[in-house]
Amino acid sequence: MTDDVVDVLIIGAGASGASVAWSLADTRMRIVCMEQGDWTNPSEYPTTAANWESQAYGPYNINPNVRGRDTDYPINNDESAVAVVNFNGVGGSTILYGAHFPRLHPSDFKVKSLDGVAEDWPIDYATLEPYFAQNDRVMGVSGLSGDPMYPPKQPPLPPLPMGLVGETLARGFNKLGWHWWPSDSAIISQPYEGRDKCLNLGPCLSACAQGGKSSTDITYWPEAIRRGVELRTRCRVREITVNEQGFADGVVYYNADGEECYQRAEVVVMACNGVGTPRILLNSTSARFPDGLANRSGMVGKNLMFHPVGFVQGVFEERLDSHKGPQACCILSKEFYESDTTRGFVRGYNMQITRGSGPLNTAMAGYTQGTIPWGPGHHEAFRKRFDHVAAIGIIGEDLPEEHNTVTLDTELTDSDGVPSPKITYRYSDNSLKMIEHGLARGEEAMQAAGAVEITKAGPLRDTGWHLLGTARMGNDPETSVVNHWGRSHDVKNLFIVDGSIFVTGGGVNPASTIQACALYIADTMKKNLANLFD
Amino acid sequence: MSDIIGSDHPFNQPQQKTLAAVLDTLVPASEDGQMPSATEVDFDQYLRTQGEIALPLIEAVLEQLDNTFAEQSLEERCAQLQAYSEADPLNFQQVLTHVYDAYYQDDRVRVAIGMIKGPVFPQGNEVMAGDLSLLDPVINNSEQHQYRKV
Ligand SMILES: Cc1cc2nc3c(=O)[nH]c(=O)nc-3n(C[C@H](O)[C@H](O)[C@H](O)COP(=O)(O)OP(=O)(O)OC[C@H]3O[C@@H](n4cnc5c(N)ncnc54)[C@H](O)[C@@H]3O)c2cc1C
Repeated sequence: MTDDVVDVLIIGAGASGASVAWSLADTRMRIVCMEQGDWTNPSEYPTTAANWESQAYGPYNINPNVRGRDTDYPINNDESAVAVVNFNGVGGSTILYGAHFPRLHPSDFKVKSLDGVAEDWPIDYATLEPYFAQNDRVMGVSGLSGDPMYPPKQPPLPPLPMGLVGETLARGFNKLGWHWWPSDSAIISQPYEGRDKCLNLGPCLSACAQGGKSSTDITYWPEAIRRGVELRTRCRVREITVNEQGFADGVVYYNADGEECYQRAEVVVMACNGVGTPRILLNSTSARFPDGLANRSGMVGKNLMFHPVGFVQGVFEERLDSHKGPQACCILSKEFYESDTTRGFVRGYNMQITRGSGPLNTAMAGYTQGTIPWGPGHHEAFRKRFDHVAAIGIIGEDLPEEHNTVTLDTELTDSDGVPSPKITYRYSDNSLKMIEHGLARGEEAMQAAGAVEITKAGPLRDTGWHLLGTARMGNDPETSVVNHWGRSHDVKNLFIVDGSIFVTGGGVNPASTIQACALYIADTMKKNLANLFD
Repeated sequence: MSDIIGSDHPFNQPQQKTLAAVLDTLVPASEDGQMPSATEVDFDQYLRTQGEIALPLIEAVLEQLDNTFAEQSLEERCAQLQAYSEADPLNFQQVLTHVYDAYYQDDRVRVAIGMIKGPVFPQGNEVMAGDLSLLDPVINNSEQHQYRKV
């Protein structure tokens, strides 16, 4: 295999890896993607069985440390206020994601200029706009145009049903005079590109058996493969190697049998997410790069951002059919999204209305919260809550701080012996104040909507869904890892396209922006093919 | 209470009796007769699908309950289980998860709480579209809800 050189080697087949592969396929170059996980089979997804809820406690757990597949890598979260969640396989975390699909706002790219905090991005919303639209078309995004909180945009499919949950909360927001809008969702509300529409199964976070949810294994990948990209599963990359000129020249990886292999490449693209990418860069040490590849700035693994999350749950007297419909996608409110320093913090948050859960989760959550007892009284309390709840997720902007890091654990490894990532993370005062504010506003919204019982929780631990900032973009090689089109400042044929390149995180779920960035980087690579390494 | 008897049953007869009483205590039938008790769902079958996972957890509970548990009043049984839940909260919670998991997979239970029978796929659910004219106040107030220009 060592004589075999591919033109482009992409590491990771998730949201960003799929997008970049699909776009680069135009070039007819020889493109290989290595993914440590497998293809997943929708006919085996939890909702095809009666025990779909309990499967999410085990084999489909969002936490890789609990899920424990040998295609996962364990993560040391002991020194982190937030535990990382993900999925490792073709489609990456989009297999389990909620598919709530808002874009970052124009202001999110300019936080230093506007609010004097963190850094501005070296690109802006207008640069990404065509790629947002392209991504919406390929993924299949449902939504409603005309939201005044965004520049004009046109989702390709009509919005998902709001249901009683959405209507109830919408009335509450209207009473308060607050903004709300049907959520942009990467879930198809009508048949689209050979896929059948969403069936309102409910538990999107346990993978979608119907294929109504737009995970990249069923959107980008089939088309990229048809156009010649080779996707190799069960290939776990341990490190990227460099030649004497300081160019990346290949990767060392383990195949399905755990054998160490080597693949040469002209260009390497990293798409392993905000934890997986710094892990492999830090593990790629050499005489030339003793502190890890592409790390002359010292910024690889630093500035880790999640989104601090709070939840407000309301119980309603009337039945809301809460267990039906896409759990994470309904309506949202951007009333408190933009900075207002009179609130005591900078930047803001998104209020994401979520539907309720199935009966097992309802009963167990009721037990732990003390609202649904076992024994006599169980049925009455259960009836009052099951299908009678709505929730507001408070998703806040986390600002980059150098002490929030991904480093290599000195003991923990994956099944191939590759060092595991260790997360060190604490909330800033700004984040804590933001969540406190959000929980109070969420309570107000629930009251206005008519909730008879309201519970608030946050910031919550098992919410490390959004992994951002650990190899950030910038114009200055002293303070950033990649340039404004994702190319490493230090290694001219190494690109990074996943959430690690985010300079700041905005206050919305990031997948749409991650993929738009990946498409933009791929397009810029294509435009610069003749002088890619200059 | 149903009679959980089978030659390949993982528990002996007295244990089966106690287990049935535990199930009946954790989830009794509803007074209006709409909801069955947890002994009426096929917990035996559920246990078979769990392999070795659930058995030691349940065994640990049974070991802590005295032989007369099944003969005691509902109040006394509740008190014993409550005491156990405080002594070993983790194991109790895991057992409760299994009991609820089995219970809420049962088709009678599902229908009684307004769900479809069996797996949710491929039948799916109907969700009403919702009234988009509720957006009128947001649209009419759009100057107040503008995105921040940069
Ligand atoms: C439960 C859950 C809910 C979420 N909900 C939402 C939501 O509603 N909206 C939203 O916008 N975002 C959501 N997210 C986040 C979203 O899924 C991610 O932000 C997005 O998928 C990240 O894309 P990525 O390409 O950076 O990484 P991923 O999609 O995570 O893909 C990374 C891939 O790289 C592979 N990989 C890693 N290391 C190696 C290696 N060494 N060798 C080979 N392969 C490797 C992994 O196996 C994985 O397949 C959610 C995530 C989760 C887990």
